Amino acid sequence: MPFLARILTTLALMLLMTTTALHAAEISPKITVGTQEVGLSVGYMLPHRLTEDHTTKQQGPAFMPYWMMTLTDPIGNSWYRGQISLGAEMVYIQFQEPILTHGVGFAPKIKYTFVALDRIRSYAEFAGGPFWTDLAGKIPEESSEFNFVLMAGFGASYFLTDQVALNVGYRFQHVSNAGTSYPNIGLNASLPYGGFSFYF
Amino acid sequence: MTRHLFHRTILGLVVLTTTTTVGCSTRWIDVTPSPANREHPATQSILNDERVPLVMDGFRMTQNGAPQNPSTEVEHRILNTMQETRLFSTLIPLGGNVASLGDKVVTARISFDETIDSHSGKTAWKGFVIGASMFLLSPVIDLDYDYAAEANLELGRWDGQIKRYTARSAGTVHYTVFAATPTMVGELKGRVTEACLTDLMDQLIRDTNFYTASSAPLPDSPIVSVAVKARKPLLSPTSPASAVPVSTTPTP
Repeated sequence: MPFLARILTTLALMLLMTTTALHAAEISPKITVGTQEVGLSVGYMLPHRLTEDHTTKQQGPAFMPYWMMTLTDPIGNSWYRGQISLGAEMVYIQFQEPILTHGVGFAPKIKYTFVALDRIRSYAEFAGGPFWTDLAGKIPEESSEFNFVLMAGFGASYFLTDQVALNVGYRFQHVSNAGTSYPNIGLNASLPYGGFSFYF
Repeated sequence: MTRHLFHRTILGLVVLTTTTTVGCSTRWIDVTPSPANREHPATQSILNDERVPLVMDGFRMTQNGAPQNPSTEVEHRILNTMQETRLFSTLIPLGGNVASLGDKVVTARISFDETIDSHSGKTAWKGFVIGASMFLLSPVIDLDYDYAAEANLELGRWDGQIKRYTARSAGTVHYTVFAATPTMVGELKGRVTEACLTDLMDQLIRDTNFYTASSAPLPDSPIVSVAVKARKPLLSPTSPASAVPVSTTPTP
């Protein structure tokens, strides 16, 4: 956890330094169709043992660089007014527990961003794709190194400028091999994260 | 074996090149009416002394039927297009000084209606399919964005006669996910607006003789009063009052 604490402290300091440096102009980002977003999210994975068969307490930091493309103008006229974007992200997880191992994945991602508030924009996201990890085979839940990762979660973006935003969010993450080999109980985890985005 | 490997490598390179060039950079814009199909651009001649000033008297904009703040950008673009026709001696924008223009002045009221359809629902589903295919389908799934513009121009001559012109143009930008940019919608709007204003100016130029200084004398009794009233609010499309009978047979 000290690692996560250091990351969160760094993000908080970045936020403080950036906001004090900004002038007091109103920020109202214009995200249009075709606007691209690149960013990095960093979080810490915390295990969920949903059944008695789940025994592994896998945990460790996760790094998720990503790219997104805004596909629609704002949809709807109420609190749910928002935009859909499509993209992909790389997922790297360093499993520090139970054994120091690694996982790397690629996941197409779809995101719905609520635009009712100008500067603070909450969002819901879903991503899924192939995931390789050498943790499998060393734990009772997973047998094959080739797996799939599914992630669903929500978060909020705080726009520092029209193009730069800080993000915090939560994801539920599931890793399993879709029955391609057994055992395939799967690994489940919570993934709170923070990060930044750049829009262009 | 080596030959087989060579063929596979060539095939792979062709597929990769095709995918990146077609899939990553495909974007095109359709505009109707197409400026390329403009067969007979209107041309007239007018004596310099016969030209009169034009004063903007009103400018309204709507987007998908909802009134918007008038865009100075659009107003300037319309005025520039009118200036390029050289039909009028001077163009005075909304709120400009009209004190020294003389008595023979043409007043203009313009409404500019935009209709935007980003096909959000369809695009969302297509996006989901593209993501689920790990972007492999992105070169073959096109996304669309529609934009239409309608310009209504009402010109009032100094003797009180009024002429109305209407032009409409529409366009669609077709693009693949990796070819989308924030500027493509601007490009679409620019081309559609250009086509719309070109059509409008063609109509205007055909009436050149109507706006010459010698086309009508000054009225004997100059207009010393104007009607003062609030404009009618735009009716919502869902309002029952906006319903009009629609028929394929002409009204008797």
